[in-house]
Amino acid sequence: MKKKFLNLNDEQKNIVLCCVSIFIACIMLFPIYWIIVSSFKNNAEIFTSPPTFIPKEFTLESYTSQFTDKNNIVVAFFNSCKVAFTSMAFACILAIPAAYGLARFRMRGKKLFIIIFLTTQMLPVALILTPMFLVYKNLHLLDNLLAPILSDATISVPFVVLILRTYFLAMPKELEDSAKIDGCNTFTAFTRIMLPISYPGLIMTGAFSFLYAWGDLAYSLTFLTSPEKRTMTASIYNFMGKYGIQWNAIMAYGVLLVLPVVLIFIFLQKYIIGGLTNGAVKG
Amino acid sequence: MELVLKNKYSSEFIREERKGYLFVLPALIFMLAFVGYPIIYNFILSFRDVNVTTFSQAIKPFVGLKNYIEVFQDPTLAISIWNTLVFTLGSISIQFVVGLGLALLFNMKFKVSEPLRGLMVVSYLIPMTVTALLFKFMYSTSGGIINELLMKAHLISQPIGWIIDSKTSMFSVILTNSWVGIPFNMLLLTTGLSNISSTLYEAGKVDGANVFQRFFKITLPSLKPAILSVLVLGFIYTFKVFDLVFVMTNGGPVNSTELMSTFAYKLSFTQFSFSKGAAVANILFAILFCVSLGYLALIKEDEVMG
Amino acid sequence: MKKTRTLLTCLTAVVMTASIFIGCGSGSSNANAPQDKADPSGKTTLTVWHYFDGQQQQKAMENLADKFNKSQDKIEVEVEFVPRAELTKQFTIGLVADKLPDIGLVDNPDMASFAAMGLFADITDKMNSYEGKDQFYPGPISSCQLDGKYYGIPLGSNDLALYYNKDILSAAGVQPPTTFAELKDAAKKLTKGDTYGLAISAPKNEEGTFQYLPWLLSTGAKFNEVGSAAGISSLQYLTDLIKDGSMSKEVINWTQNDLEKQFVTNKAAMITDGPWIIDTVKKDAPNLNWGVVKIPKDKVFASDLGGENWGIIKGHHEAEAWEFIKFTQQKDNMNAYCADFGYIPPRKDIAESNDKITKDPVMSVFLDELQYAMPRGPHPKWPEISDAMSTALQESFTNAKAPEQAAKDAQVKIDEVLNKK
Repeated sequence: MKKKFLNLNDEQKNIVLCCVSIFIACIMLFPIYWIIVSSFKNNAEIFTSPPTFIPKEFTLESYTSQFTDKNNIVVAFFNSCKVAFTSMAFACILAIPAAYGLARFRMRGKKLFIIIFLTTQMLPVALILTPMFLVYKNLHLLDNLLAPILSDATISVPFVVLILRTYFLAMPKELEDSAKIDGCNTFTAFTRIMLPISYPGLIMTGAFSFLYAWGDLAYSLTFLTSPEKRTMTASIYNFMGKYGIQWNAIMAYGVLLVLPVVLIFIFLQKYIIGGLTNGAVKG
Repeated sequence: MELVLKNKYSSEFIREERKGYLFVLPALIFMLAFVGYPIIYNFILSFRDVNVTTFSQAIKPFVGLKNYIEVFQDPTLAISIWNTLVFTLGSISIQFVVGLGLALLFNMKFKVSEPLRGLMVVSYLIPMTVTALLFKFMYSTSGGIINELLMKAHLISQPIGWIIDSKTSMFSVILTNSWVGIPFNMLLLTTGLSNISSTLYEAGKVDGANVFQRFFKITLPSLKPAILSVLVLGFIYTFKVFDLVFVMTNGGPVNSTELMSTFAYKLSFTQFSFSKGAAVANILFAILFCVSLGYLALIKEDEVMG
Repeated sequence: MKKTRTLLTCLTAVVMTASIFIGCGSGSSNANAPQDKADPSGKTTLTVWHYFDGQQQQKAMENLADKFNKSQDKIEVEVEFVPRAELTKQFTIGLVADKLPDIGLVDNPDMASFAAMGLFADITDKMNSYEGKDQFYPGPISSCQLDGKYYGIPLGSNDLALYYNKDILSAAGVQPPTTFAELKDAAKKLTKGDTYGLAISAPKNEEGTFQYLPWLLSTGAKFNEVGSAAGISSLQYLTDLIKDGSMSKEVINWTQNDLEKQFVTNKAAMITDGPWIIDTVKKDAPNLNWGVVKIPKDKVFASDLGGENWGIIKGHHEAEAWEFIKFTQQKDNMNAYCADFGYIPPRKDIAESNDKITKDPVMSVFLDELQYAMPRGPHPKWPEISDAMSTALQESFTNAKAPEQAAKDAQVKIDEVLNKK
């Protein structure tokens, strides 16, 4: 499909590609549009048939209701930030060197290590909760933000290790060799040469660790019992319960939850693009 | 750096190995400490009899394989294993193909490629619970937006019971899960693509390779390690998926979307048969373990390369 | 040579063993050791867990706690909200790891299971010396009992009744039905265009069972007699409504709150639901003309019991907790919080002297139903029984099995559970 454009000149190629991708984006992003639109409707209108694409009664009620009430969304937002950033940092500090080690060094037990990283991922979250709870209890970390931070890191770490490992593998060894010739030891070769050059991969995996911790529900809900420590994701249960799902509030909540992260992501794109073209040229 | 090894474990090797360990061990110890215990706990739990009546006893009775036998006799187990496989393979296929396609598309660097790619990530950012509710809402048979659009476009004449009809329910959850997972695949493959130097492509063009040949002979092989990781991790993560299905269909209608994860959860937390839930979780674990052994076999070549 | 390999394996083993010890700590020790919180001010602090997520209800709980705290200065009550879906998990995990509140709120059918697991304290003695004991309706109080002992006290009750859209009914010239036969007829007549005559909620979980029970009980069958002739007929009756076209097949996915949405958008002329949606209905459709009647009967009027119970966690400040609970049972306090929750007081003396309930056309129906409302079980293995029933419901509705087959299969499962005990 997209590859047949060799016969067109560059400008036409550009236009066709733009159109195709916008079309695809519209389909993929339609549910998002639906969330946004629904968040502005009142509860009854959400279920009318046929559904309305533009709300008949535009209302900000679902948004304003999120900000009232003592354990409101602003507090939760900051809790989410703390958990997500710390978890990401922690995971990266542990995992990036591990990925590098597995990619660059010969050692016995390499396969064993990889298997360990993989197997620690294999139990469904809901069933690890009880034993993890016990661990934290003994460490006196219950109802402490550290608990979900560490738990979320247990998902990010193997992920970063495995993905970055393949990324580092693809980097030519000459880089370290020339660094060593210039007087670096193994460690400084890693920090001064490899890390800066591989930053697209680092940003990518860092972003995923952040996202995972930001969106985590199970761990923060189970380990944080005080309402004022709850993260944004846990607040979703404020809108779901025995007495009803307030669809419009959930949609508004979804928008608020996602918005800051989307913005960060769009800004990050600039740095990633720089990195990607860099990587290609380095050849 | 050429190392001529006469003795397999020369001091050079040991030094390199020690450095390697230094890099790897912190992460490893962390994972073992925090996840090792839950895994062992779960394992032991499945061999004891822990349910509503025995819960308050200090020492839970040891019953050997009884839980596993009972669980295997339950027809729901076989259904859930099958469903999980269908769900996982279906989701991965769609996510991978579309993700790869999008990665390639956006790699062509036309005007709107960057912001669009950034926007596409949104589907991965939304918490699974919200996505599940959103799609449950959109899939409603009467009044759901999907049916309305399809009918307006005259593609169907009758509304489809997406999540209430056992025939379409699996497809519907696969579709939603894929929607969530596509950015994951797309971004990771994009990173992999960025590593392929353009000189390779130019050399290919000079040799007269056309678009398809360049794709299959240059792009795919260079992407191989990235593809393998994405597929293995994707398989493991999708196999474990719980929130999405639980919130959207709760395993229904009539077990058509019952996954191993939802089955294990229901056994443990709805029926309070904790040991049986642990048993099912361990079966899930065992299956994934075999898959990762397969992965290990496949990355053998990298060992030599690396 | 082999040394490093062995070293490695040893290291792994050590780490894993160490983690067992981190985890094992007090896991196997007495998880129910009494907790003595020494408060500097000499006060005892009590924590209460509940799952009410509506703002109004949360405030009601807090008000209750505030009133109590102000009325005396020996005990301080703190109220904590834990989302419903999480509460079961938290109790279970809490039992294992001993991180529990002092008082917990549970849905009435769950009480038996938790009591069997050792979560709640045996308060039989306290109950026997409590004057209000005989005032409770039979349904609610029996849900607090297990093996003849009391493990909790009812907080508030509700039940199911039939909501109907007055305008749609009068337009079709239909009277609110009182028997199964009348309902079938009415539903058929009311199904027009986008509107279905009847809607119930039938997902494969506790909610579905809750909605199915009145129909089962009305035929004279008890909760453990699904496979009897009467039981089969109840399943058949409901399935026929779907076959008739008077009830949508989508009910297998609808929650009771989805029912409310269907009702206010005129997509269902009649629904079976409880008093907790009253406020939402008024808010969503202030101009809707609606009313409530008892669920139509086959042989007997029936409904089933909703509502929550308080339980004191074993070994956690039992005496002080009992003080708080007695306080909430006082007439004014109970009426206040029941109004906020949309409950009917579980005590005859309080409910029947409350004009707001007895004189209200809607609430009085729910009050009336309460005498016919049967608890679910109670049985510690209720979740498994419930699962068998909602499965049968779904199988019949989706035509996966004939109602007779589905009912008989459910009966087999139920018998197994009851025999295993």
